[in-house]
Order: sequence, then structure tokens, then C-alpha cells
Amino acid sequence: MDLLEVKDVKRQLLDNDGQKIDILENINFSVEPGEFVSIIGPSGCGKTTLLRLISGLDKPEQGSVSVNGEVVKKPDVSRGYVFQHASLYPWETIEGNISSGLKAVYGRNYDHELVNHYIDLMGLQGFEKSFPHQVSGGMAQRAALARSIIMNPEVLLLDEPMGALDAFTRADVQNVIYRVWQKTKTAMILVTHDIDEAVYLSQKIIVMTPRPGKIKDVVINDLPFPRQRDSDAFLKMRQNLQEKLKFGFNTESSK
Amino acid sequence: MSDRQQKKQSQIADLTVKYWKKWDYRWNILSVVVVVAALLENLFVPAQELVDNTVYRYFLVIYGLYLIGIYLYGRFVSFKAHFYAGHFAQLNTIIGILLLGQDLLTEKFARFTLPFFVSFAQILDQIREDHQLLWESTESSLVLWLVSFIIGTLIGVGLGLAMGRYRQANYWAFPFLKVIGIIPAAAWMPLTMILFPTSYSAEVFLIVFSVWFPVAFMTIGGVQGIPTAYFESAHTLGFSEWRIIRKVVIPGAMPSIFIGIYTALGLSFMTLVISEMMGAKVGLGWYINWAKGTGNYTQVYASIAIMALLFSIIFSLLTTVQEKVLRWRDNSTGI
Repeated sequence: MDLLEVKDVKRQLLDNDGQKIDILENINFSVEPGEFVSIIGPSGCGKTTLLRLISGLDKPEQGSVSVNGEVVKKPDVSRGYVFQHASLYPWETIEGNISSGLKAVYGRNYDHELVNHYIDLMGLQGFEKSFPHQVSGGMAQRAALARSIIMNPEVLLLDEPMGALDAFTRADVQNVIYRVWQKTKTAMILVTHDIDEAVYLSQKIIVMTPRPGKIKDVVINDLPFPRQRDSDAFLKMRQNLQEKLKFGFNTESSK
Repeated sequence: MSDRQQKKQSQIADLTVKYWKKWDYRWNILSVVVVVAALLENLFVPAQELVDNTVYRYFLVIYGLYLIGIYLYGRFVSFKAHFYAGHFAQLNTIIGILLLGQDLLTEKFARFTLPFFVSFAQILDQIREDHQLLWESTESSLVLWLVSFIIGTLIGVGLGLAMGRYRQANYWAFPFLKVIGIIPAAAWMPLTMILFPTSYSAEVFLIVFSVWFPVAFMTIGGVQGIPTAYFESAHTLGFSEWRIIRKVVIPGAMPSIFIGIYTALGLSFMTLVISEMMGAKVGLGWYINWAKGTGNYTQVYASIAIMALLFSIIFSLLTTVQEKVLRWRDNSTGI
């Protein structure tokens, strides 16, 4: 059975003139347990909105999102969310941030060992007592990832978590996400506009068109893991996606 | 480089930003020389007014020894003291010159004369002479202020948090806050003196009134300025509403709350003194009023001097608390 099902989802917003505009239209797809899915598309195609609908932070006008057959109504610990800007609490230490969800759910007797485990896994040793502004962007994003994955969610939603990082840090965080996925086998949905990233990490790539956001194509990416960024198959897959996205950009410019 | 060295390096970097004037022996020596000169001047220049200079001389000796001590400590022991002492050497020089100058202008050459102008020596001597009454006054002012300020701050923060977080609370309370809060506390004074059973409770009310509004107002703004993503991540991490209040709303609004508290601080001191002058039978404000009645302006100066000391101690305590509470802030960007 599918873990997550998005069915006929439509989302509208009011523009500056008070006109209703379609952000998302006719969105249908599903995610299996443990699957890594990327949603890729040009900016403004509603991919972040889609992720927010899945998390329950936003509600669709029509259609539904369901997890294990249950319709999503509000945010829940079972659907982790990593924001583009780490959004760690600046007043909590790195350790405090990572354990914040555990404390909320299990109280003071949460599993301290688990926190240490993730601090090690994310390479954050020595920075437990640092505040977010004292660590690099990549470290902050790894801590944000740890904060969500430590709750053992059924699906982890990643909203362009590498978007604000430089190229080196980006590759580093991508590898961390890959390692975490391999270890935990948590289903992941990654929103990105970086083709490379989508090809490197995901098994299924959903290509979206610009406004109104529709699913243009679903590409199955069955390259073996761990993937080599310079292999022929990788580059071919990359090119394939680039072609599909070009179409998307053209419709935007002809509008 | 070891962690410890690295930590020291970054501490030094912070200190050079805070205490930016460079260590300079000439200023260090000059500041001590000036204080010594002020002492010698007080000892040997003949006075035209009759003043007991004992306390003032002790003060100058202690001040001079303090300067020498902190320079030696900064030179040989502590790098923190080094930056601090070096930075303030110029200021200490000016303070020494001012002490020297005021003594000459009042007590020695009588350019400014009693009863309206007094030398610093005379203020110190007045404090010594009247220390029992002044101590009682200070104590009662401090207790009154502390109780009222805490009540006012709690009301302000509580109301501000509720109004910043809940639309209903904001809808019902904000119009009243806007209209009532803006009235200066002193305007209520004639009414409170009659309506409250004791003058003490009237004073508490007035100070609370001067405090709650700026604190509430800044708290509301602070809560509303917290990035939405902080609440959203709290929801995805399973935070309860109570936990969101404790772990997101309060710390997020804390920088603003402190701005409100600082604003309220000045207003509360003003209201404290005015209300004590109006109806009280104790306190530093009452002491001023009483001294005015007897025409002893040296006592007025003495009370003002104690207020200056007391209020600046309170102010720096608050700054220390703020630095501790907001130590998570990135000082380089001011966020």
C-alpha cells in the first residue's frame, strides 16, 4: 500500500488585485514507504505550497492528501519538515534544538543517547553547546535535519534545504541526507530547483510546470546507489530532465 | 591552535570591539596624576567655605588606589582588565579634572556659593552626617520601586504575550491599552491619593501604571515579529500550545521585552520620585521635599547623588541580566 497519496489537489491564492489564481491544479501522485521522491520545477510553480499541503501547514481548496489512508488535517510529528532556512531556534543550543521535538513528545526523560547518536551522525560533535549563529550554514541545516529525523517520522519533507548554501556545503548536506536515508529508510520528499540534486538523491522525480503548477511528468530514476555524479548514465538522466524543464520555462516566457 | 587559545582569541576580539580605546601609559599615568592633584589641591589650597573634607579625601585616596590597582592588574594579571582599564583611562582623567575643578570653583575660590551650589566634598559629608535617615529613605524607595516594578513588568509581559499571540485578546484589550496606557501616571496622582486606602498603595499603583504600558506594548510587537517558520516547525515537532508559549513565544519576544523594560525603567524612577514627593512620609523623593522645606540644598544634592548611584546600579544589573538572558543573540548583526 502507498504511504502517502495526493489526490486531485487544487490550491488557489488571491493575487494583488483580489483575483483568485491557481497555484496548484490537478495534482496526483503517491509515495511508497521508504521512497525518495523529488519535486522539481521552476520557481513559482507551487512546489513549496505542495510540500506545505502534505505537511498539513496549508490546506487544499479541493482534493486531499492522505497518509496511510488518513486525510492530513494539521501538522504532525509523523511528517517531519525541514525548512529552506534552517529555522533553528536561535535561543536554543544546537543540542537543545535537536532534542526539542523529543522533549515536546516524551518530556524530560527523552532518549539522550539518541540525541548524541544524531549529533555524531551529523558531524556536529563539539558544537552541542553552540548557538545557531555560531555555526556555519551547512551545520545549521544538518542540525535542522537531525531535529526532524530524530522524531522518526514516516515521511520527511525537505523544502529546498540546500537552497541557501554554497556549492561545497550543498554537496556535503546532500551526502548527509543520503546517508540518513540509507540508515533510516524514511520516505523523503525533496523540493528543489537543482536538477543535479534531484538526480543524485531520488528514485522518483516529479517535474512540475510553472503557474498554475501541474505535474508535467514523473521520471523514474533507477540508477544504482551510491550514484556517481560524473557517470554517463547520471549525465544522461540529467540531460533528460533538463529537456523536460526547458519546456516549462518556455511556457512561462510566452505568457 | 588549541580550543582554549581559540576561545581566548575570540574573547580578545570581542573585547577590542567593546573597549576600543587603546591602552596608553600616558593616559594611565595622567589619570592617576590628576586624582593625586585633586587630593593635594584639596589639602593645601586654603578654603573660603567651612567644609569637613574627611570623606572626600578618603574618596580621592580610594579612587586613586583603585586606578593604580586596575592598571597594575590589567598590565600584569588579567587581559580583560587590560582592555577595560585602557579604554577608560581617558574618562578617568576627565573625572579627575572635573573633581579638581569643582572643588576650586566652590569651596576654594567661592565662584559658586552656598546654598544653591555645593562642593562634592560637602555632598559626601552630608551623606555621612545624615546616613541613617538617608539609608532608611533609600531602603524604602528601593523596596517600593522593586515591588511595583516587578508587578508592572509581570502585568505588561502577561498582557503583551496574550495580545501578541491571540487575536481575540488583541481585539478586546488593544483599544483600552492604547487609550489608557498613554496617560502619564502622574496625571492620576490627585485621584489615587484620595481613592487608595494608604498612600503606599497609591504609590505602588502609580509606578505599576508607568511600567505596564511600555512593557506590554513592546511585548506585543516582539511576539508579532517572531518568524512564522518558528511556529510552523514547532507544530511539525509536536509542540503543545503551552510549550510554544514557553519555548517559542517568550524567548522570541525577549529582546523586545527588554526594550520595553528599559523604557519602563526611566519612567518608573520618575514616577517613584514624583509620587514620593507628593504624598509619602519616607523615601528619597520625600527626603528631597523635606530638605527643600528646611532650605537645606546640600541635602537635596545628597539625595540626588544617592539616586544617581542607586539607579545606575539597577540599570547595570538589568544590563547584566539582559546579557545573560539574550546570550544567544548574534551581537555582530544585532539580531
